[in-house]
Amino acid sequence: MAINKEGSAYTFGFAALMVIITGASLALVSLGLSSNIKKNEADKKMMDILSSINVESERTNAAQIFNSVVKERILLDADGTVIRTMNTDVDPANLEDPFNVDVQKDYKQKISKLVQANKNDKPVLLEKVSEQDVQYPLFRCEKEGETYYVVPMVGTGLWGPVWGYIAMKDDLKTVYGASFDHKTETPGLGAEIKEDFFEKQFTGKSIYEDGQYVSVSVVKAGKAGDSEYAVDGITGGTITSTGVSEMIYRTLAIYDNYFKTQRAS
Amino acid sequence: MSEVAVEKVEIEKAPKEPLFSTKNKKLITDPLNENNPITIQVLGICSALAITVQVKQAVFMSLSVLVVLMAGNWIISALRNLIPNRIRIIVQLVVVATLVTLVDLALKAYVPDVSEKLSVFVGLIITNCIIMGRFEAFAMGNRKWPSVLDALGNGLGYAWILIAVAVVREVFGSGKFWGFQLIPDSWMMANGGFYMNNNLMILPPMALITVGVIIWIQRARNTNLIES
Amino acid sequence: MEAVNIFIKGIFVENMIFAYFLGMCSYLAVSKTVKTAVGLGAAVIFVLGITVPINYLLENYVLKEGALTWLGAEYASIDLSFLSFILFIAVIASMVQLVEMVVERFSPALYGALGIFLPLIAVNCSILGGALFMQERQYASIGDATSFGLGSGVGWFLAIVAIAAIREKLQYSNVPAPLKGLGITFILTGLMGMAFMAFMGIEL
Repeated sequence: MAINKEGSAYTFGFAALMVIITGASLALVSLGLSSNIKKNEADKKMMDILSSINVESERTNAAQIFNSVVKERILLDADGTVIRTMNTDVDPANLEDPFNVDVQKDYKQKISKLVQANKNDKPVLLEKVSEQDVQYPLFRCEKEGETYYVVPMVGTGLWGPVWGYIAMKDDLKTVYGASFDHKTETPGLGAEIKEDFFEKQFTGKSIYEDGQYVSVSVVKAGKAGDSEYAVDGITGGTITSTGVSEMIYRTLAIYDNYFKTQRAS
Repeated sequence: MSEVAVEKVEIEKAPKEPLFSTKNKKLITDPLNENNPITIQVLGICSALAITVQVKQAVFMSLSVLVVLMAGNWIISALRNLIPNRIRIIVQLVVVATLVTLVDLALKAYVPDVSEKLSVFVGLIITNCIIMGRFEAFAMGNRKWPSVLDALGNGLGYAWILIAVAVVREVFGSGKFWGFQLIPDSWMMANGGFYMNNNLMILPPMALITVGVIIWIQRARNTNLIES
Repeated sequence: MEAVNIFIKGIFVENMIFAYFLGMCSYLAVSKTVKTAVGLGAAVIFVLGITVPINYLLENYVLKEGALTWLGAEYASIDLSFLSFILFIAVIASMVQLVEMVVERFSPALYGALGIFLPLIAVNCSILGGALFMQERQYASIGDATSFGLGSGVGWFLAIVAIAAIREKLQYSNVPAPLKGLGITFILTGLMGMAFMAFMGIEL
């Protein structure tokens, strides 16, 4: 071959070609598969919400069960004022639908920086978070005659985002169930937050102590004991556990504005 | 390219040998013991520490690495005469990163349940030095078939250490194997029994020490491997 | 002040080796003598100190959703984050390639001693880890991000030099033959990791 493989021209040519091929193939594949991926994500979201009130579902029937169990989808602002409610079937294309509010995107763009900057000062953090222009979806579900409220939440783990859903009982003080998930936590350690043994601990916990909002904290493994306001964290997954704890505190504090008015009425 | 790094197998000059000649077989068997990627070549340690808390995760990770390593070694070996030496590291990394990302996207779209289980490994696979290490040390200088065999051998050598460490850590750390409880609940100290799981086993330092002990056993049995 | 805190934290509390156990391969393999350890450690400081700020700029001005707004309002909704892995890696790999060429040119002895582990800095998990941590922690400014990169690098440097010094002394100790070399290094690192856990939970 006459081409000089070590020459600059060849090197640049090779690099350029490589960038074009990989970039194009990634962009094409990502674009081409995005509708499928979006649908799978919506199904998964429904399954997670249902799992927080202990309703089992599969990808094939998630939408159907979701539409029958979730009676009302409510959109709130940070002060707890209702912006709008919806009770028709979920429409993945309708951006007005509270179900389609991308809480993860809002968290990433508007809130995660505040969390990093004010992690040692909870009141200041809450004040700053509530000043942000973010909308908060809430799902009112009915199962076997009981009403539950499911709150979606997002936080930060060790490697990436963690998120989850906490279902409150009708009294809006007691936790009925929880389901968590994560993007890239360490398998076997932080990733355990999505396992049953961790999620089941939340059932029956209270977010109120003597009329004061306290949230449910995730504490060091083995330290929760019989506390009504704490659950055991993951051994070896300290940073993920702390992230979950922070996420629950911050999110429920905002929703509590709505819960307060609901309880009063 | 430094001389120490490349193990050029003299296979280039003998193109017409059977698919599983003695030399080729050695490519598979050597990494299982005498040239094990983890305990001898010191590659892929980070993942060995991070995901050996449970056997299940270790098996998933080993399989993913095996597949990516074989595909990557094949591609790099096919491209080896085209890659300019000056940017070879970038090329190698881009090949593996693209490969893994494409597979991940496809899984997400068509088999989301599998993707959920595997997607956490994506980052771990790309940065696994075993993959880069084999690209650099073997695939860059050898033909396709031996490269695939080398990948198979190293993938298996990596797998058995990973799984061995995971068994030790899961059994002693959480009293389980593949998620099944081995130690009855009534034995636990918390329930008035006499047994307690060793929580230290779950922390990363114990993974290091477990690998250290495996090296000890391996070298005690095969004294050729002892460092002077 | 924040930058100083991040720097100190990167060295001790969030030490890449002892707290996150990242970048182990080259750490274990190239810690036989203090001299090579210093060389590799310096290379890691350099690479981390350069790649974290570059990746920070990429993340904030190219990859993040809305990051392309500076090109014009119509680009505001473009989200390129699926490319972040590949771009981070490409930046890291090119920096490593640069370091490799510089080391080869100015210190052939060090180049020989580092062998395959010089190109492997590119997959040194601590470097990509640095980029991913930076992305996740959302540092407020490029200064903070740089001090995080440098701090993590210095922490890694400290760890590898410490273990290399111990290994040099270890030659005069009576270690069981099969444990000599790699085996005892694994165990030592485990013990040092336990000691470093004492720093965990310190708030700065």
